[in-house]
Amino acid sequence: MSVTAEAAAARAPVTREPTRRRLPFEIKMLAPALLVLAAVSLFPFFYIIAMSLSQVKLIGGISFNWAALDNWSRLFGDGAVWASWVRSIVYFIATVGLELFLGVTIALAIHEAKRGRNILISVVLMPMFMAPVIVGLLGRFLTDSTYGLYAWILRSLHLYTGDILGTKTAAFAAVTLMDVWEWTPLIALIVLAGLASLPRSVLEAAAVDGASYWGRLRYIVVPMLGGVLIVALLIRSMDALRYFDIITNTTNGGPADATKIVPIRLYETAFRFFDLGYAAAIGLSMLFVTILIANGFMRVMKARGLAR
Amino acid sequence: MDRDNGGTGLSRRELLVRAGAGTIVLTAPGLLEACGGGSERRTLSPTPPSADEWRQFAGTTLNFISENTAPTSAIAANLKPFRDLTGINVKISQLELSALVQKVALDFASGIGSYHVVYADPYQVLAPYHSALAELNQFNDDPNLPKVTDLRDFIPTQLDAAGKFVNRQTLYTLPYDAPTLIWMYRKDIFAKYRKRMQDDLGFDPIPNDNSTWEQFYAISKWIRKNARADVPYGSGHQAKQHDSLMNDFSNVLWAYGGDYFRNGNDVGRYGSDDPGEPLLDTPESIAGADMYNKLVSIAHPGSKGWDWTGLAEAFQAGQVAMMAEWHEFASAFETGKLAGKVGYARLPRGPRRSANMYGGTGIGVNGVAPEREQKAAWLFVNWATSPKTQLANLKSKVGGGTPTRESIYKLPEVERARKPPSSMPNVLTTNAVFEAWQPNNIGLRPKIAAWNECDTVIFTELSKMLAGSQSPQSCMKNAKKGFEAAIDRAAALRRQ
Repeated sequence: MSVTAEAAAARAPVTREPTRRRLPFEIKMLAPALLVLAAVSLFPFFYIIAMSLSQVKLIGGISFNWAALDNWSRLFGDGAVWASWVRSIVYFIATVGLELFLGVTIALAIHEAKRGRNILISVVLMPMFMAPVIVGLLGRFLTDSTYGLYAWILRSLHLYTGDILGTKTAAFAAVTLMDVWEWTPLIALIVLAGLASLPRSVLEAAAVDGASYWGRLRYIVVPMLGGVLIVALLIRSMDALRYFDIITNTTNGGPADATKIVPIRLYETAFRFFDLGYAAAIGLSMLFVTILIANGFMRVMKARGLAR
Repeated sequence: MDRDNGGTGLSRRELLVRAGAGTIVLTAPGLLEACGGGSERRTLSPTPPSADEWRQFAGTTLNFISENTAPTSAIAANLKPFRDLTGINVKISQLELSALVQKVALDFASGIGSYHVVYADPYQVLAPYHSALAELNQFNDDPNLPKVTDLRDFIPTQLDAAGKFVNRQTLYTLPYDAPTLIWMYRKDIFAKYRKRMQDDLGFDPIPNDNSTWEQFYAISKWIRKNARADVPYGSGHQAKQHDSLMNDFSNVLWAYGGDYFRNGNDVGRYGSDDPGEPLLDTPESIAGADMYNKLVSIAHPGSKGWDWTGLAEAFQAGQVAMMAEWHEFASAFETGKLAGKVGYARLPRGPRRSANMYGGTGIGVNGVAPEREQKAAWLFVNWATSPKTQLANLKSKVGGGTPTRESIYKLPEVERARKPPSSMPNVLTTNAVFEAWQPNNIGLRPKIAAWNECDTVIFTELSKMLAGSQSPQSCMKNAKKGFEAAIDRAAALRRQ
């Protein structure tokens, strides 16, 4: 090839293959599922946003009448809803805190058990397999002042003579404990799995170095379980914010609204008053708070290098 | 002629079905006569049914949604007579009332009309959703459909309260059940302590026309103090934060001259689109709330956690000596260990009157359903509220209905059952409920579109009062504010 020809070739515009942006393989594989997910979650999501901006009428088929931000301004000015949020937060802290404490304690006890561990695990996990609505009915039965076993025990021991579900503090404590009874096993199970994965050599080295049980627990076990605990807390927190079944079947929000947390108020607004626009606004506020809490946990996990 | 195929004739299968039906209808009265009791049955027979009228929708399947009440349990246990008469199959769903209201409202909204026959609570279904119910007048006036057997036989207050909304000519439902709050007390305990109570309290404790809520309070207190060996508490209430609390309280509210709205009787009996200003903060209403607070303060502590079922269980378990309870619970008491030990009376008086909460309901036809199914549903509504079916319900082992027709109570066999031991335990309450249903004694809560929300407002505020979180005065003032807001919202929705 001559020099001239080479120079001409060098001057000629470079014709590149048009670059086609291709979807990564994994996205292609996920696409059908993502589309279905979008259909079943995004459509209702936008529908609920539209509802929250409307007055919804049911008779003669659902119809929306534009209400702008009326439902939202009502939500922010509604003292009853704020009171329900306060109750929800107290309930959230009480249940998740108790479940975490008891779950870790039970898991540690089972982990240390030399015999009968499988039987213990089966017994401990049992409440978790019951439907919450059944737990509520069982709770109502056991705390009934006429024939309830717990009510009778408390009365016989002179610890509590009033009606458990008929007084504010006792009712709140009762529904909290019913939830704790059902879901502590989940925390115990998750922690137990975490304990089983701890490196035995580290614990044995600490024991050889003379570290006490409490010392090992405090400086080795708990820090190493951190990630597992946060996952357990994340799961339970999402559930605790949506707590509904047990309260519906026991106190229905009473007495004196003492157990009327946000999901109960949402249900009442939507399916008793059929004020669906306002209920949509309450529901979206719940979603917002749930996302905030989930993000909080995710940040902690990221800070610990447990999530990307 | 087959109305659906344009009179093109009957198929062989259809001909056989109709012939069979005709045979059943023609021979049934004869068979009944042969079984005895002919004279009574003659009075109960509806207008002689023509096979064509009742069989024209054979093969249709109807869905009936009902609260889990005694008459529905009785009907569900014995649907054969209806199936034989009409060839229509009926599927019955029995639910707790709030779940029923939710399903019915969503069904109306869907426009599908899945539930053809609706148990339409006058306050929670009829008032807010009456426009979605079919007007029954059109079926009753249709020459091709069977008419109701003597509409005037229904107890008038019940026909208005359960069946109509605002327009006094339009009928949306036929009265189906009639539970009413009456005074139930342990006859054995009252008899045992009657003399001592009379000496100590200065009045005869046995419930009578002049008994007052103050006396009820005094009796309750006395029993708690002096009769603990027989019963731990004098009285119990259905004071859970629930619809039951509104019912229990309203008796006292009305007895003390208070009311929810100015024309309380009309708003309760016929309903209203515009009930006006709530009257809950009047001195009479506050006096009623004060008295109710006083009554619950000395009642069984479980009262604040009981609805009507919880209270009935406590009574049955011997925890309380008296209560205001729905009269249909009599069938449970009279067949259990309290058989023959329970007395029934109209509720006590206050300074104004005796008021007895009426909790009856009608059944109607879903106006959203297809026309043919609506007509088939009419047959069921007509049959289920007929004298014959009501009598069968009353005798049922599984139910124990609460008839809404006067003629039932006048039948000799029902008259005989008024005295214990009775084969129809609910009839033991007849004297009390007939007193309670008198226009001046009946208690009718407001029949307004916003009632679901108003009901929640009043029982929530009352629950706060009973928990000691607020005074009776604040309770009623807050309730009034809540009523006003709910009524305004309902009116705004109606204007759209």
